[in-house]
Amino acid sequence: MDVATDFWGERVAARRRELATWGMLSFGVHAGMLAVGLSLSVSQFSVPSEVISVDLVTLPRAEPARLQRPEPAAPVAPVEKRRPREVVLPERPSAEPTRARSKPRPQPAPSPPVEQNYADVLAELRKEAGETAPTPRPEPRVASVAPSKPSGPATVSPEVAAWMRSAKAHVRRSWVVPPGFRTQDLEAHLRVRLDRQGRVLGNPEVVRSSGNPWYDEGVLRAILKASPLPPPPQADVWSFVFVPEDSL
Amino acid sequence: MKPDPRKLGAALLGLCLVLDWSVFARPTAAEAPPAIIVTSGSARTYRLALQEFADRSAPSDAADAKGFRSQLLTGLEFSGLFDVIEWTAFLGDEATSELTRAELLEDCDSWRQIGADAFVEGRLERSDQSLTAQFQLWDTASCRKRLSKRYRQLAGRDDAILARRMADDIVENFTGVPGVSDTEIVFVSTRTDNPEIYVMNATGESVRSVTSNGSINLFPSWTLDGIGVVYTSYRHLNRPYLFLASRSRQKPAKLLFPSLGSERHQYRGVFDPSGRKMAIVVSAQGPAEIYTINEDGSDLRRLTNNRSIDVSPAWSPDGEQIAFVSDRSGSPQIYVMGADGSQVRRLTFDGSYNTAPAWSPDGAWIAYEARVKGQFDIWLLDVEGGQAIPLISHPASDEGPSWAPNSRKIVFSSRRRGRADLYVVDINGDNLRRLTRGLGDNTSPAWGKARP
Repeated sequence: MDVATDFWGERVAARRRELATWGMLSFGVHAGMLAVGLSLSVSQFSVPSEVISVDLVTLPRAEPARLQRPEPAAPVAPVEKRRPREVVLPERPSAEPTRARSKPRPQPAPSPPVEQNYADVLAELRKEAGETAPTPRPEPRVASVAPSKPSGPATVSPEVAAWMRSAKAHVRRSWVVPPGFRTQDLEAHLRVRLDRQGRVLGNPEVVRSSGNPWYDEGVLRAILKASPLPPPPQADVWSFVFVPEDSL
Repeated sequence: MKPDPRKLGAALLGLCLVLDWSVFARPTAAEAPPAIIVTSGSARTYRLALQEFADRSAPSDAADAKGFRSQLLTGLEFSGLFDVIEWTAFLGDEATSELTRAELLEDCDSWRQIGADAFVEGRLERSDQSLTAQFQLWDTASCRKRLSKRYRQLAGRDDAILARRMADDIVENFTGVPGVSDTEIVFVSTRTDNPEIYVMNATGESVRSVTSNGSINLFPSWTLDGIGVVYTSYRHLNRPYLFLASRSRQKPAKLLFPSLGSERHQYRGVFDPSGRKMAIVVSAQGPAEIYTINEDGSDLRRLTNNRSIDVSPAWSPDGEQIAFVSDRSGSPQIYVMGADGSQVRRLTFDGSYNTAPAWSPDGAWIAYEARVKGQFDIWLLDVEGGQAIPLISHPASDEGPSWAPNSRKIVFSSRRRGRADLYVVDINGDNLRRLTRGLGDNTSPAWGKARP
């Protein structure tokens, strides 16, 4: 059957010689079939539609926005991650994934007792996300949301830095990112009011939408599900930025 | 390295200033710390609690409700988005007969404590004429109803259809893109020795034959309404002609273009997204070329015209372009042209053998077969960026990709277990599942749209 299977692939069907062979093998017998075929009309094919569904949707939907197409470079990572090791692809060197990324590291150890500035914390958080070096990605995207002074590094105490790390790890455990979102360039910014016990007060505020209402909703529910967070240094409004790992 | 005392002093001064500032300036807004950047962790699925469905019409016999729930479960799991928690994990009332809102809120608390992200409560009602099913999807993070929906279908139709549609709606509620468990795949199988056309549910069940003519039947594709299947068959004059059959075999197959004559061999035929015309591959003595033709056989137009082979047309979702395979450069590569044959452009440059293009319904990707080390793998080409990335790489051949209507999954055939079987995979490479089980060779899958 393998020979025939090969023939069925069009790439082989394209081999003229084999085509000719098949042509010679053919014999004209089934004229009756032709008549049967002619007597039919395409429009006769119909199956009654039997399902009636009544929508009583309660989830508010911002807009019927379809998912945006991914950024050109973004989808490389998820695919590359899953590729079996044994496969070598010498024939196509240019298509080798360009950005190898390591898996996220284990959850953070207690923070070292040193003063850290914003850049350090940011670098550390990024390092946990698996990035080893600063990427060409525009850094100030976060700074624009954090209500700290845009110029000069904001400073956080070791206590705050440690809490930020544990809060991050805690929220991340509650966050489900469907596969379809991992290949897209999505980023949502939230402001969340926490009390001294780490409980989320009221509804978190989306200060910058990802543009995808379902992604935003998933982020909101992650924060709610994470409540109570580890007790923060002070009851306050804290900023969270949610980025799918694979689009970093 | 010895520390520079001046730098040390400056650093100390800076530290003091910062500490002073942080003590005295604490109440001001400028002190707010930077944002906490949360990247996605390992959680890839929602934990969904699926409670027993209550059967109002037959409360004493819960078998129907259990069967319905099991179909819903299959549909949910197919998405790869959910882990379903067994209802036995829940210590409350098992069967949810008419639950009041207060009871549902109580359930919500219990489910959250068990670790569920959401839960589904539903009921069935069966009459002589119809089956009615309704459900509520609750989110445990907010104890809020996410979705509530009611369905009805005529009695005698498979309950599974309704259950899968429910599953696909639940998937859409979480992602904005409907699930595809209630769709169908048409394919070629040699389970009766000769290649015949079959249709099955996208989840792999309910295989039924579309053809059983004992001849050779190849290259199936769907009509726009999902009711008809176009394929090539040698049953007429033992030459390749295109046929149109009803997927449910309600009518005999129809010979599509007898007027092209037996000298012009017809291979693959695919409808354009408007359903008005088809792209077909015709070989008349010379090499195979791509044409368009109306369904009634009128307006035959030749799109490619050269000495090389042009095959495997695949429409862009807007119907403006056709991706195809040509060996005009010396080896088979993927090209794209306008629907009138103009503006031909080569898309693949890596590798010596790239075939079988399939354009994703969202227009973003072209999946294709790439020959790597003598075997075929499935690759994805980013249509806009032009970059190609591997999706499925395996020492055995993986062939014939076709897209799910939601552009989130691909079905393909693979010989990784010897005979060719059909597999589905998410486009990020996750969630690989085998659909067919070694009955003959199963190849040439074409994923249909939502079930008609």
